[in-house]
Amino acid sequence: MALPRSFKRALWVFHVATGSCNGCDIEIVAALTPRYDVERFGIMLTGTPRHADVLLITGPVTKPMLPRLKRIYEQTPDPKAVVVVGGCGSTSGVFYESYNVVGPIDEVIPVDVYVPGCPSRPEAIIDGVVKAVAKLETLEKSRGGE
Amino acid sequence: MSGLSSGFGVWNPIAWALLFVGILVVSFIVRSFGNKGYKRGTGQTKVFLSGNDEPETSNGLHVRGDHLYWGMIDGLSAYYRRVKAWHTGILSDYAAWFVGVLGLVFVILVLAR
Repeated sequence: MALPRSFKRALWVFHVATGSCNGCDIEIVAALTPRYDVERFGIMLTGTPRHADVLLITGPVTKPMLPRLKRIYEQTPDPKAVVVVGGCGSTSGVFYESYNVVGPIDEVIPVDVYVPGCPSRPEAIIDGVVKAVAKLETLEKSRGGE
Repeated sequence: MSGLSSGFGVWNPIAWALLFVGILVVSFIVRSFGNKGYKRGTGQTKVFLSGNDEPETSNGLHVRGDHLYWGMIDGLSAYYRRVKAWHTGILSDYAAWFVGVLGLVFVILVLAR
């Protein structure tokens, strides 16, 4: 598979857990381990959304996390892509219509890529980030054409 | 380029000015590599505090200079409580202290003779 052009520079990812059971979070960590080693592609977790190109979000949006998720999205510089990891973030999963859940991620912020699974496998997460790269490339080109 | 040589080092204002200008130029070059797409006045330029809103300075976020001495002030809190009580901010009180201490020194000097 030919790597997209965005891979020639490091892609920084910020991970947000908005109420997940940590299953998907562990799989994200697995993607960083030597077995998958996403850092060899330049994909790196960053400690602040202000340095991030991609938001990697796990879990349904719980009520306490609602303003925080909005704030984190707002703090991420443009162009940005949002990747939802796992069934809970995509549809609320087993927490559907739960008393303390606002809903899936796309009810709060726009989502670009959905990665299914409970939890998602590291290969699927990497594939999701690659799709986010393609989205970022499109956004970069459209910005350049303005 | 002449300068002041003290035997331990050399001081030349022109060299320092050139160095300062050099640092400024390098700083501007590094700054130009930054993301120009940042939107001013939005969350993109605010401090990231784990997604929490930035608290007001009156809520204790402001770090004062005397916080550096917190350990010493806390350790000597009994002393500082007493001393701070004497610092009333009233000029006549300070004048009274001055006259009192001056008189005490005068008495000590007289007794020491």
